[in-house]
Amino acid sequence: MDTPDSGGKTPLGRKTAETGINFTSSTRFSRGLTFIRTHTLFGQSPTRRIIPQTSLLQENADSQKIAFLLRKQWTLYSVTPMYKFSYDNLKEYSRLLSAFVATEKQKGLAVEVGNDLGIKVTLSTFLGLKGTDQDQIAILVQIASRSQLPFENAEDKVVWSGWFCCISGDDLLESVPEDFTCLSLFLANGAESYTAIVGSWFQKTFDCYFSRLTISPLNLAWMAAMWTGCKVDSHIAATELVFSVPCIPQSLDISYAIHPEDAKALWDTVQKTPGEVTQEEVNLFMDCLYSHFHRHFKIHLSATRLVKVSTSIASAHCDGNIKILHSKHLIGVLMLLTELAISQIQ
Amino acid sequence: MDETVAEYIRRTVLKIPRHEIMEMLTTWDFLSKTQLQTINMHQIKESISQEVVELCEVITSIVNDQTMSNSHNFVFTISGIFSCITGEETDSFNLADFKYNFKRSLRSALKNVTINFREYEDNATWIRIAWGTQYTKPNQYKATYVVYHSQTPYVFISSLRNRIPLLCQALVHASNYHDIHEMELRSRCLDSLKDIVFKRYCQTFQTYHPRPLQERNVAPEKVDPRIIQVNKREKERIQSVNQEVFGEGLQPKIEFAQYKLETMFKGEPEMDILTEKEPFRCVVKFSSPHLLEALKSLAPAGMADAPISPLLTCIPQKARNYFKIKERKGILSASCLGP
Repeated sequence: MDTPDSGGKTPLGRKTAETGINFTSSTRFSRGLTFIRTHTLFGQSPTRRIIPQTSLLQENADSQKIAFLLRKQWTLYSVTPMYKFSYDNLKEYSRLLSAFVATEKQKGLAVEVGNDLGIKVTLSTFLGLKGTDQDQIAILVQIASRSQLPFENAEDKVVWSGWFCCISGDDLLESVPEDFTCLSLFLANGAESYTAIVGSWFQKTFDCYFSRLTISPLNLAWMAAMWTGCKVDSHIAATELVFSVPCIPQSLDISYAIHPEDAKALWDTVQKTPGEVTQEEVNLFMDCLYSHFHRHFKIHLSATRLVKVSTSIASAHCDGNIKILHSKHLIGVLMLLTELAISQIQ
Repeated sequence: MDETVAEYIRRTVLKIPRHEIMEMLTTWDFLSKTQLQTINMHQIKESISQEVVELCEVITSIVNDQTMSNSHNFVFTISGIFSCITGEETDSFNLADFKYNFKRSLRSALKNVTINFREYEDNATWIRIAWGTQYTKPNQYKATYVVYHSQTPYVFISSLRNRIPLLCQALVHASNYHDIHEMELRSRCLDSLKDIVFKRYCQTFQTYHPRPLQERNVAPEKVDPRIIQVNKREKERIQSVNQEVFGEGLQPKIEFAQYKLETMFKGEPEMDILTEKEPFRCVVKFSSPHLLEALKSLAPAGMADAPISPLLTCIPQKARNYFKIKERKGILSASCLGP
């Protein structure tokens, strides 16, 4: 599957020609690796998905860190496996990345040698974000600006955050040799310029490739169906679908928001097998919504483009933005996103 | 002179580009020619604005034309005033009485308000109201604008939700009508709102034998060379039906329409789902820089049936863009009920 930026737009502003990664139809990584997706046909989305059990967050999960992930807008990227990444060297990586960020930021400015810009980068592990035991431990990267205040314990202000994770990435893990670390999903929050700098450092250091993870209308429909079906106890929100109408002179956006109880009732009648969702069920759910809309407005929503889905669990935009609202369903959402990231890499 | 008013004038003058200041001050028309001539335009803007403030001992009107012409920055709601049926309606509209009564009514409820009037040629009276509270001076930066056409029972108010009851009360007292209620019609474009309620747009007429007019001038369409066959008849049918329901000519400009649906869910018969007795609640919002033109182009683009639903085409006729749709008893189709 071609990367979405094949139309000339570079994902991180800096295409490193030396990585030599080729994303045409042969699934080939640099250094001549190949592997084949076991479950699905090349390029197609699966016909069925397992609904993860809730509360998969492992016991050692840091609840404060988890809370930090929620209710924030994250931009999604898929990352190819990283070569010779070591969890033991995180301090060293922090130091190198700090220096790199500082030099990049200072480009073009005349600065004293050794001047402390006040930017500090930390890499740390993020325990508890795992789907299966084979999953690699998640990594959190934070850029903080050192506080200008004179006293000792003044807190640094986090200006940018990014984290790598891989939830139930079994397919990829099976066929990847030892030297590689699979953390296929990358989420970033903060200035685009920092994302580009951090991404290019990782690309250079670990010979991997970042690319923007866009979400197709088909996958957005899956999210709408799966997330509407999740049981939520607090902060219940409507299921909202936003459609953009193409090919007309004036742009038109249609927001279709359904009362959460009614949306769930509809989904419960559609879904037959507990614990599993099929493509037919998703299609039926969407067709029901489309036909109810058509009955009133005589407009075919199926001819328009689904661009955003919002539910009580999470909201996702086709440009590759996500906001997760409930910690209980965090792993489930990440599992789905990991799957999309992996299928984009191939 | 009031401190906050002085500050407001000073800031407004500072915002104007230097070469336009004299022009603006002249159009504002509250400083005399001699006063204007005394202002030294060759000093820094700070000093110019300070001089202007000093010259303004009495402010007759803070309303300036620049604000007026930027009327597209506000979201206007409409209030329609019921015509009085008992005959207490005054025959001739007296502007002076209206102003006096309006001020008196509003001031009796709230001491800290700044009220200014301005009349325009098209019989429109603009009222600018800056609101304060019992303890604070009026906030000049968040003023409400009211546009009243004396020959019509319509008033347009720029949005300020919590002040509307007070405002309506004052309007009723001043204009001598019985009642006032808010219409479900909002837009950023004041002229379009006027077009809709004054019925100035091109209306549609019901025809019972719809047939495309032969003599109509059809502009030659840009045909994609890859198309080898066109269902011309269907295309023309769609065009003519679309013209009928939307009317020819330009549609009034509104930016959004909202429908609160509380109808029963009814899928296709083969879907066999959700035979609930409860309505399927949803809210549908359409938004576009020019909504009605966008809706008009849907059927020709193949994304909607022709004719498109009357729920959409009735917006100008019903003069509303907020709807609540409930199930009509005994009939399967949904109808449009007011709140």
